Amino acid sequence: MGLQMLMNATLLGGLYALMGIGFSLQWGISGIINLSYGAMVMLGSYISLEFFNFFHIDPFISMIMSGAILFVIGAIIYRGLLQPFLKGGIVFTLILTFAVRLIVENIILKVWSADYRTIRLVYAGSNFQLGDVYIPLTKFLTFITAGILIYLTYLFMMNTKIGKGIQAVALDKEGAQAVGMDVEKMYMINFALGTALAGLTGSLWASIYSFSPHLLGPLVGKVFIIAILGGLGNIWGAAAGGLLLGFAETAGAGFLGSQWQEAIGMVIMVSVLLWRPYGLMGKKFFG
Amino acid sequence: MSNNKKVNIFLLIIAVVLFIFLPRFLSGYMVRVITTIFMYAVIAQGMNIMSGYMGYLPFGNAMFFGIGAYVTAIGMSKGLPFLVVVPLAAITAILFSILLGLPVLRLRGHYFAIATIGMSAAILSVVQNATEITGGAMGTTLPIIDKDPSIVYNYFYLAMFGLMIITTLSLHFIIKSRFGFGIRSIKANEEAAISMGINTTYHKVVAWAISAFFTSIAGALYAYWMSFIAPDEVFDVMIAVNTIVIMLIGGAGSILGPIIGAFIIELFAEVAWSAFLEYHLAALGIIIIIIVFFVPKGVTGTIADFIKRKKIRARKKVSI
Repeated sequence: MGLQMLMNATLLGGLYALMGIGFSLQWGISGIINLSYGAMVMLGSYISLEFFNFFHIDPFISMIMSGAILFVIGAIIYRGLLQPFLKGGIVFTLILTFAVRLIVENIILKVWSADYRTIRLVYAGSNFQLGDVYIPLTKFLTFITAGILIYLTYLFMMNTKIGKGIQAVALDKEGAQAVGMDVEKMYMINFALGTALAGLTGSLWASIYSFSPHLLGPLVGKVFIIAILGGLGNIWGAAAGGLLLGFAETAGAGFLGSQWQEAIGMVIMVSVLLWRPYGLMGKKFFG
Repeated sequence: MSNNKKVNIFLLIIAVVLFIFLPRFLSGYMVRVITTIFMYAVIAQGMNIMSGYMGYLPFGNAMFFGIGAYVTAIGMSKGLPFLVVVPLAAITAILFSILLGLPVLRLRGHYFAIATIGMSAAILSVVQNATEITGGAMGTTLPIIDKDPSIVYNYFYLAMFGLMIITTLSLHFIIKSRFGFGIRSIKANEEAAISMGINTTYHKVVAWAISAFFTSIAGALYAYWMSFIAPDEVFDVMIAVNTIVIMLIGGAGSILGPIIGAFIIELFAEVAWSAFLEYHLAALGIIIIIIVFFVPKGVTGTIADFIKRKKIRARKKVSI
């Protein structure tokens, strides 16, 4: 793999890593496979689009708004729709999150149409060079930002009261209840954190790539793979999974042609499921 | 046989006869709509045995529909007659279900559901890219039947109806059999079933093979009926979603549930398309939410609950 390809793969992987963590947290801790996750990412993109078009705010700044809005949306969805059905088994959470995806998809289609949208940043074309390798500025900034956000998420989980509470609930729900923790609040915040990460990813995505409702499905496919590769609920696992997917896609596109990209991802996922269903890092753990 | 059962069977036979003669009174369009309902009922029964009775949701079950459709298309393009290709399609689907099922059915419910989505997407990709064999993303055609259109769609109406009856009856007898008990025990408590000596892997794989069998035949019929199929149409994830909704609203874990559900959902789809053209996605989403909140056990489940409550009330009155 050429150095340029490696650089491309890494830059892509960083963005995927951020994207995968939110989904992995939702699945690993609440047991909810959020089929509307792709829609949440796209909402983040569209929010940044609007902020850019109306207020000329750079997506790296408007991502804060995306994150905040999607956090609230996530909390509402969890409390209103999902919490009552957690005991209903997987059919209900799958079909409910799919219903959310349908509704959001329809909203996006009505407001922004199915056309691919972009955010044209002034500095979008510039790149800098490291030896023989070209690094596009926006992708570089995205990578750095993603890394910072991932680290912040980790710090949140490890050092704040709520973060530790979420971990506690994930490790032993009854034990957490026994010491008086508000378990439902923990689950809700975790879920909302997941959608917030989705929104942040969306804003970053918008700074580099074009976006449209067509991406709704494939994005969910990608985060499945990342979550499974990394082990559910495992932040650094998901980060590694994201990088791996970035590598696999870039290599696949480079050697086999881009039509096989999605198939490669799926094949990887199914293989991992068959051989190491707990993810490449083994059983679920934190840190 | 109790009197109740005799009445039920009599009613069912009348319903079957009615349906057989229905096409004479309906427009070609309605006949095609009802044929689609029968088809969805079959796919939903395939899901029903896995999810409703066994508790394993094969979200990607549409892959067998697609396999059935494509094997039929490819087979007929080589000159094989339809009645020869259909068993081939079914066997192919069963082989897939066994090959993919043996490793994947070891996994718990979550993983199984996701793995099947992954498989379905992977197969879709392969079919889309293997253009020499499958016609690629542009789709492929099947031989058109050289007869009057009304004869043709009546033929498919009856074929799908027959398939639906066979599927439903088969499921009915399978569920009542000892094998069926094994399946239901897996849903109730898999560890307990294993400790009772039930070979759960065998049950799971065979159940999925049965599911694949019927779903693939539906796909085969569909391909011949439409004369044209494309990968993203027959491997569409929306097929699975619609099937799950049908199963939910009809009542999972019941024999007639999928049929009732198919009628209800198709009815709604017909209404929604004309009334909500621009919002049909959101409308479907909202309907799903309403169903899950208000009728989670579906029509048959709610009716069963109602009957149970009436019986309890009747018993209470007597005891006082």
